[in-house]
Amino acid sequence: MSEDKKEIRKETSDKDDGKKLGRRDFLQGLATVPVIGLFGAALLKEASFKKSRKAAKAAAVPGKLSELNVALLGQGAQGEVLLNAMLKMPGLRFRAVCDIWTEYNQRRAVNLLKKYDFQVNAYENYQDMLEKEKDLDAVVIATPDFWHAQHAVDCLKAGLNVYCEKEMSNTLEGARRMVLAARETGKLLQIGHQRRSNPRYQHCYNVILGEANMIGRIVTINGQWNRSAQPDLGWPQKYAIPDARIKKYGFKSMAQFRNWRWFKGLGGGPIVDLGSHQIDIYNWFLKTHPVAVTASGGTDYYPKESHEWYDTVMAIFEYETKEGRVRAYYQTQTTNSSQGYFENFMGDQGTLVISETGKRGSVYREISAPPWDEWVRKGYVTAPKILEQKPEEETEAVLDVRETISPDEHKLPVEFNDPYHKPHLENFFNAVRGEGKLNCPAEVGYESAVSVLKVNQAIEAGRRLEFDPKEFTV
Amino acid sequence: MEERKFNTLQMIALVVLRVMIGWHFLYEGVAKLMKGNWSAAGFLLQSKWLFAGIFKWIANTPDVLSAINLMNIWGLIAIGLGLMLGCFTTIASLAGMALILLYYVCNPPFVGLFYSIPMEGHYMIVNKNVVEMAALFVIAVTGTGRFAGLDRILHKMFGKKK
Repeated sequence: MSEDKKEIRKETSDKDDGKKLGRRDFLQGLATVPVIGLFGAALLKEASFKKSRKAAKAAAVPGKLSELNVALLGQGAQGEVLLNAMLKMPGLRFRAVCDIWTEYNQRRAVNLLKKYDFQVNAYENYQDMLEKEKDLDAVVIATPDFWHAQHAVDCLKAGLNVYCEKEMSNTLEGARRMVLAARETGKLLQIGHQRRSNPRYQHCYNVILGEANMIGRIVTINGQWNRSAQPDLGWPQKYAIPDARIKKYGFKSMAQFRNWRWFKGLGGGPIVDLGSHQIDIYNWFLKTHPVAVTASGGTDYYPKESHEWYDTVMAIFEYETKEGRVRAYYQTQTTNSSQGYFENFMGDQGTLVISETGKRGSVYREISAPPWDEWVRKGYVTAPKILEQKPEEETEAVLDVRETISPDEHKLPVEFNDPYHKPHLENFFNAVRGEGKLNCPAEVGYESAVSVLKVNQAIEAGRRLEFDPKEFTV
Repeated sequence: MEERKFNTLQMIALVVLRVMIGWHFLYEGVAKLMKGNWSAAGFLLQSKWLFAGIFKWIANTPDVLSAINLMNIWGLIAIGLGLMLGCFTTIASLAGMALILLYYVCNPPFVGLFYSIPMEGHYMIVNKNVVEMAALFVIAVTGTGRFAGLDRILHKMFGKKK
């Protein structure tokens, strides 16, 4: 009996070891074959990626673009953003980088450019750069606001075309000098209100508000830029700028150098840093500048010693357009990020909500307005997505007769996936090449500067301030 | 069951090592193949040690160079496939070791030798080539192909019966 059992056991254990090729051998043998499948899939993905890159490159070169020699003046946070956008643009030859933070900003920029095969000359003082660099066509200025006027004027006078970051200047006097210098030298001066070249904004201006006049007469505007509370910017200790150099360039300390936007005499605070973009859009879309502004603001949250400018600002602009009066509200806060940043134009036939972030860009039709089928057909807006309607609840409550149902949402049909500043820089460099006009020349930038700088004055004055139309022209 | 010195987890680790090295070799070969005009010339010409003469001669003799390029590409692919599938694992790993030894001897990271196409990282005598050679040595002597690879099937079908 026991012998039989032994034999049976022997037979069953023979199945997966020893001489016979069993199921287990096959499975374990082929265990690593699927990895070849993975390899193949990854290879295919890489091949198609390379193909699409090649196609994009071929499509992007529109024939020979004349090469422009470009210098970079200021390579801090914003300078870096602009450089990253420019590195995606053909036809630019970078020749020089100037930044007073030689240990950090300057080095970073020079190394990045090296990776793209640009051997640039590095300067600490912009005057050295203007003296030693010959053959420059353009300079991109991204230095603190209080330096803009001097940098721009000197560069224009040296024969360069200038792209200058916004705000044009922290003082109207400085902005005025820039406009005059551009006029006298005949060189181009583009102010960095990049939404003016953004295809989505241009679609709103040209098509939705312009040709189709979809939202009717604009009566009110609401805009905001809400940002989370953030600590002051620091710096790596070993890269601290020596005191003598910091003071030479107008800063009291390293801390002030890193957080210049908050200090009077250097920047204008959040209303200028952030608000100027959007208030510029108000002016652009309404095709006019404001007639009055009332504002309230203060350093409500941060310590006043390190935040001389207001961390919270609420402003109400009044415009007189051809259709009538428009009241535009704007707020900026740096303590909470609820709803981020956007501009909301409200007309009697519809609402336009737009933001630089691609996540927001919609048009809503008011119930009483005529249908928008024609615009949907023409592709000016997408077909409406009907916003959710809640099922009728069993309730005693009486529907308020004045309640209106939410309007349908149409989206903007324009896709834009490039770095935000690229179109505006392209617009500038094309103008330098003689093709096309600037979307934000000095005069336009000046109008925005006037509108925005007045807000800080209105806060101090504590009352409604009016604009004299002559203030907007130089 | 054959006598195994390692438990299952250890064998799995070794199989993973084998497959990773296989993938590396396979991609090195395939990438050069896809590039179309890959040549070892640049690498050979910067050779700087005992055998520099031979390597430079290869680079400067077009017929020999194209033969070498072909053998290198297909050698990498064959070794890569062999390792990934666990097929003729011992041969594949020994061949891999020999190939890498050639690369190493062409550009050894010795004190005082600098190259125009340097390997990324800091090395002194031991560089990534040496590490991969050592890893292949482990694969060569641990029979992972017979554990989880085509070798298991091949051995069962054609191997010497005890």
